[in-house]
Amino acid sequence: MTGRPAATAPRPYRFPDFVRHELANGLRVWLVPLPDRELVSVHLLTDAGAASEDEPQAGVAALTAQLLVTGTQRLDAGEFAETTERLGIEVGSESSWDSARAAFTALEDKLSEGLGLLSEMVRTPRFDEREFERLKAERLNDILQARADPGRLADESFLREVFSAGTPYGRLSAGTPDSVESLTVEATRAFHASRYAPNVAHLIVSGAIDPDAALANIEAHFGDWAGTGPGHRTIEPAQRGGRRVVLVDRPGSVQSELRVGHLGIGRGHPRYFAAIVMAALLGGVFGSRLNRRLREELGFTYGARCAFDPRRASGPFTATAAVQTEVTADAIRELIGQLEGIRAEPPAEAELTEVRDFLVGVFPLRFESTTGIAAAIEPLAVYGLPDDYWQTYRSNVESVSTEDVAAAAGELIRPDEALVLLTGDAARVREEIEAAALGPLEVVPAA
Amino acid sequence: MPHVPIERHALQNGLRVVLSRDPRAPAVAVNLWYDVGSKHEKAGKTGFAHLFEHMMFQGSANVEKGQHFSIVQAAGGTLNASTWLDRTNYYDTLPGHELELALWLEADRMASLLPAMTQEKLDNQRDVVKNERRWSVDNQPYGDWDERMQALVYPDDHPYHHPTIGSMEDLSAASLDDVREFFATYYAPNNAVLTLAGDFETGVALELIRRHFDRIPPNANLPAAPDMSVDALMGSEVRVTIPDQVPLPRIYLAHRAPPFGTDAFDALDVAADVLGSGRASRLYARLVRDEHLAQDVSVLLFPIVGGASMFSLWVTARPGVEPDRLEAATLEEIDRLAQDGPSEPDLDRVRNLHRAHAAGALERIGERADRLSMYTCLFDAPERVNEEVSRYAAVDPARVREAMGASVRADNRVTMSYVPAEAAA
Repeated sequence: MTGRPAATAPRPYRFPDFVRHELANGLRVWLVPLPDRELVSVHLLTDAGAASEDEPQAGVAALTAQLLVTGTQRLDAGEFAETTERLGIEVGSESSWDSARAAFTALEDKLSEGLGLLSEMVRTPRFDEREFERLKAERLNDILQARADPGRLADESFLREVFSAGTPYGRLSAGTPDSVESLTVEATRAFHASRYAPNVAHLIVSGAIDPDAALANIEAHFGDWAGTGPGHRTIEPAQRGGRRVVLVDRPGSVQSELRVGHLGIGRGHPRYFAAIVMAALLGGVFGSRLNRRLREELGFTYGARCAFDPRRASGPFTATAAVQTEVTADAIRELIGQLEGIRAEPPAEAELTEVRDFLVGVFPLRFESTTGIAAAIEPLAVYGLPDDYWQTYRSNVESVSTEDVAAAAGELIRPDEALVLLTGDAARVREEIEAAALGPLEVVPAA
Repeated sequence: MPHVPIERHALQNGLRVVLSRDPRAPAVAVNLWYDVGSKHEKAGKTGFAHLFEHMMFQGSANVEKGQHFSIVQAAGGTLNASTWLDRTNYYDTLPGHELELALWLEADRMASLLPAMTQEKLDNQRDVVKNERRWSVDNQPYGDWDERMQALVYPDDHPYHHPTIGSMEDLSAASLDDVREFFATYYAPNNAVLTLAGDFETGVALELIRRHFDRIPPNANLPAAPDMSVDALMGSEVRVTIPDQVPLPRIYLAHRAPPFGTDAFDALDVAADVLGSGRASRLYARLVRDEHLAQDVSVLLFPIVGGASMFSLWVTARPGVEPDRLEAATLEEIDRLAQDGPSEPDLDRVRNLHRAHAAGALERIGERADRLSMYTCLFDAPERVNEEVSRYAAVDPARVREAMGASVRADNRVTMSYVPAEAAA
């Protein structure tokens, strides 16, 4: 028995059906009954992400979301933690560019109590001054820690350098040291008062539920939530022009962290499916071109990859690798060579088939957990994707042709405009980067 | 709690097989634990078990270099492997109708890795692993904490003294002869556990397993397990200060502890959660939330079985906080728990969190298969997967006091302080 065995007939899989409701106050409810589970996941999304904040208050969305788990008008921070955790519930609360999310997963018999606590924290948070000052200090400390970490330093520096000044996406969604420093507890209270409202919120519940009982439960806890919130502002990202090389000096580094890329796509881009298939082929799977070349042939890195970061507006496209200091310039050349290569030599059918088959075949594995299924509903809620998005996902992937990939690469991968950002030891890598003539070089100290 | 179904079999060649059927999703997890980890490495060969794991993806008699990953991914599967102190695991999750593909791939490399080995592949993966070490250890703030800690907690000649990632020097010295010897010694069916969890017909699955694995000969001369014996206590406190490129000081504490699988380990598991799991945990509540001494806390009990485990934790100081003050407050909480034990609310909290975490973990067939392989490989007892919650819930305050008093004490402690390099200069 040495030949590759044949597969048997696949068993069909269908993304779980869900039902939608809208409460009288505008709260949109998504219920995904999964009767064979013992857990239930609840994700509450509000249109209160960083895209909703004013630039001078950058970071207010993140701090507001984090403050929600630090107590309610009834329970202080310690009591709230104790009460939820004694139910076996750990509530998470965070924000991204496009939404804020409060979520938990619990054994199904704790659903009602969990919904009650979620409602309490989102509708009547405490915004305790001392807790605010603590979280603000922790955020500032985390920025310090991030800048000592070469990978996180490279991520932050890449955003700052790749977008034009004035594009909010040029900073982390959680804000900058200056903006966070200036925030007050009143600012988080005001942000919460104007942005957390039922008409801009979605409640997703997946798992061991009876849909009618769950809806009644949600109505009881959220039906009398009042108020209206505005939508988000429109971000129009722009990139700084032309190929540039920025070296963030980090003396003593034994590796250089590379970030190479440019403006990418938004979630609604017409070539979305071609773009994600192309990105997987270029740097998303183990056998992708980037990983095969930089890791499996050259041994320059533990891993090389690339991805789009689609948001409501265009996020970045970034290729990433941590390479040993000695091969830094060669690795950059190789990495850019792969970006050029996907344009010059689009994939043949066999290479594309492998990637499409991965994305289609792995589909059911993405939805094993109740929280994974709730998370899959999120882009439908936040970006208004069609209800049959997941039912048509696999045929949309399967219909991406070699021509589509070539067109997507031609339009969306632009090595001539790519920013090459690296953190590394300038004393050891500067000269060879200059000699490689990869573009105008700027050396900056680590922040 | 859901009961994980378990069916055990053994092949003639000694391969232990565990089957756990769950037809909810059309997917199957294929999980192999080899009873070999970095504790089996000889002097001068540190890091080899892990480097060898990389070589297992470089092709075998019927599989080209790089194709193991590509074949599984193109079949719609996910896969990886990891090496740790006690063991090496290989795991795939695929659509159920590709079960035989995963079995064929795993059997092909267990049976016939060596014909595919070349110096070029070894040199390539040596470079990859050295970059893994640079990325995870050498270029990371606080990155060498665990290798420093192991070196201080375990004596020089103990198999846990050195880290799984190994030293650059030893990685440089690894040869094709080492690959051949390691494979012949440890990669045998009688040194492995194969677990399937997910959507399959039991009879068909067993038939396929026999078809692919029966032909692989056992190693009749499996070496005896390494001597893991070590004194239960270190005997005195060891303190070190480490200047590093870090913005905030961080203190690591570590203690020798009873091995994973013992009742005392379970008691320390509860203690670790009382101290460090969740926002209502004692260390978080006091150090982070109430007294603003720490940026973060983390408590970690190592689930390892040889001689002694490690009960460790770290606390990161806020700017302006004297590390001594943070250490004193941390030790007060540790001693208070050792003295008084957990309260009923403490126990209620950690038991409910533990139960929810167990349910969340066992929701995923890959995790279920991995735990079944683990309990079989380490204890020859897969049914322990169904006893996790009851063992944990059986821990009472007296057992926590006893276990803390026996292990988490000053004369059995390593204290490592990372301090910002410029401040230390």
